[in-house]
Amino acid sequence: MINVEQLIFEYPNLRALDEVSFHIPQGSITALVGPNGAGKTTLLRCMAALDQPMSGNIRIGGIDVLEHPRECHRIIGYLSDFFGLYDRLTVRQCLHYVARAQGIADEDCEAAIAKVSKGLYITDRLDVLAGTLSRGLRQRVAIAQAIIHSPRVVLLDEPASGLDPEARHELAELFLELQKQGMTLLVSSHILAELEAYSTDMLVLRQGRIIEQVAIKTLTHAQDFKLTLATPVANLAALLQSIDKLIVLKTEHDQSALLQIQGDSLQQHELLKNLLARNLPVCEFAKISNNLQDAYLETIRQRP
Amino acid sequence: MNLNPEFQRQLQLEFSSARLVGVPLILGVIFALTYLIDDYHFANVTAQSALGLFLLMVSFWGARQAVDSVLDEQRSHTWDTQRLSALDPWTMVCGKLLGSTLVVWYGCVICLVVYGLAANNTSNFFWVCGYAITSGLLVQNLSLLLSLIALRKGQINSNSVIIGLAIIAAFTIGSWIMPLAEDPQALQNKANIAWYGLNVTDQLLTLITVCLALFWCVVGNYRLMAQELRIRTLPWVWLAFAIFLIVYTGGFIPAEQFGDYFYSIAFGICLTLCYLIVFAEYNEPMRIKRLLGYMTKENWLRSAEELPLWCITFVLACLLAIPLSFLHPADVNELHIYPLPILLLLFFSYGKNPQRAFSLTLLSLVLLYGVLPALFETAKQEWLVALFFPLFTDSMVLSIVYVAVQSALIWYFLYQRWQESV
Repeated sequence: MINVEQLIFEYPNLRALDEVSFHIPQGSITALVGPNGAGKTTLLRCMAALDQPMSGNIRIGGIDVLEHPRECHRIIGYLSDFFGLYDRLTVRQCLHYVARAQGIADEDCEAAIAKVSKGLYITDRLDVLAGTLSRGLRQRVAIAQAIIHSPRVVLLDEPASGLDPEARHELAELFLELQKQGMTLLVSSHILAELEAYSTDMLVLRQGRIIEQVAIKTLTHAQDFKLTLATPVANLAALLQSIDKLIVLKTEHDQSALLQIQGDSLQQHELLKNLLARNLPVCEFAKISNNLQDAYLETIRQRP
Repeated sequence: MNLNPEFQRQLQLEFSSARLVGVPLILGVIFALTYLIDDYHFANVTAQSALGLFLLMVSFWGARQAVDSVLDEQRSHTWDTQRLSALDPWTMVCGKLLGSTLVVWYGCVICLVVYGLAANNTSNFFWVCGYAITSGLLVQNLSLLLSLIALRKGQINSNSVIIGLAIIAAFTIGSWIMPLAEDPQALQNKANIAWYGLNVTDQLLTLITVCLALFWCVVGNYRLMAQELRIRTLPWVWLAFAIFLIVYTGGFIPAEQFGDYFYSIAFGICLTLCYLIVFAEYNEPMRIKRLLGYMTKENWLRSAEELPLWCITFVLACLLAIPLSFLHPADVNELHIYPLPILLLLFFSYGKNPQRAFSLTLLSLVLLYGVLPALFETAKQEWLVALFFPLFTDSMVLSIVYVAVQSALIWYFLYQRWQESV
């Protein structure tokens, strides 16, 4: 759905994006993560055809974004990190304007407003002035504006900032719902725990370069375990490696190990039985939650 | 009804019920006062006040509304939403201009109706209305144009400058309209002006000129809006505008002197446009880098899109300088060309504080073409004055050397600055 090739964007004296290339499949929710100043916002703005890169190619839904930016605007929804609302208009008027501006016929606007406001739990606020809303509600209205025309691709820059935990949970549900409808989402955020609830892929950007692209959901199939022995056992690594369907990630002082197991809980049970059968003094065999934050930190550690 | 969404939104924002009632109420109070001053009649004072109020509203209030319709978007961070919409530039320009100023025209129509009812002499009424409406539209369009330029340059707090210009425009319009409103013989008294052999009255020519200026403002607004909406544009409109100005101004040259003066006037127009556009454009160093990149790849279409507009008129001026140097009109003995302001502005624009490029350029120009030459002249060091004004020297060779030194120096500094900034 999204193909970016050799994208370069430069500010005076700064290369914000340095030969960025990646591919995002249709129907995925990709978390765009990276430290401050990594180039996340610049990348999203280039993809939304708001800023012009120095060189490179971006294709969204088969449309060459740099050649045909207006065509691209029709199939994307974009939420800026510094979004604004028309404070002197009601939420309904704001949504109506954006719906009309995105080419929805006047007679279809009410249905579009009803659908999007239901999804974002703002139905009861439709007749309230946008300027009187709280930060969280403003965020929801802005997201509603970005998706009211049911775009094929949604680019969201820090969509959850300013939202309370309940609203974040609702937002995660909304994103999963949008994914079910066939939309492709690229979400930039600093709150990794929140991204984990819905992301299928992760794109790590650092100093303007993509340093990693991983499929998060696939990672969860290969489960990591920590094994700790009561006393050290000589040649622990070699012993563990001789066991089938087990990947030894790391051993420490012949007393502890980090293992990866492919399979379900029965497979885990078989493995534990196997370890005990080999007279290993097992005192701890525990699952390690392999979350987005771990994956991100691991990536950052591996590629300083 | 599928109304222009931008127009509808502007109406929702600007045409409130309070204004719907408030505007006629305030005007009614003012006209009640003039009615009393006119000895309980709607007469001259009321007519003059109605016309004055029209000018004030159409320019001051109208300009403010037009400017805010663009700059408010940037200030309230809603501009990206508009840029991502499916609206075309024409819908956007019409929606912003007509929607934001409709409330102004609502008050203006009341003023014109009162003027029509109160004026002693209505023989020039349609001329007055024609002038007033076209001039008002011109001021508002020009304000929108300037605000789009300010938006491009990131100068989103330029309201006061633009509204100040609108007030000057109001006084100019007033100086055209008031004599027509006061003197019924004003149209008869005017001398004819020859334009390419056609004899037209001063008033008609002014009205046509205002209409043409309005047309080019609308075209300019369309082009700037198209660029904001990321529609790729080639610079042919700027070229067409320069050619139009040359052809239009050329019409005022007497037929017998046409050959003598046409090229010098055309040359002057191109240079003036060159200076104007270099100050109006957003001169970013990365644009030049993109341009050079496209040129290296021999992508001429993209190169033309990235080409700064001042280059177009500068090349045109250089082309016009060739026949001009051969014709050499009798009373144009010295033709001073100073591209230095352009290069200076670019030099400061590529610096760390491009927002101050304009003021720094002006300051530098005052020093280079005012204070320093005056200092050397007072010190009887004329040869040093020629460093700044190369044609002041008697020797042609020296003047060419000075020009070469001046050009080489500024190009060197400009190139260095550009390289530092990219």
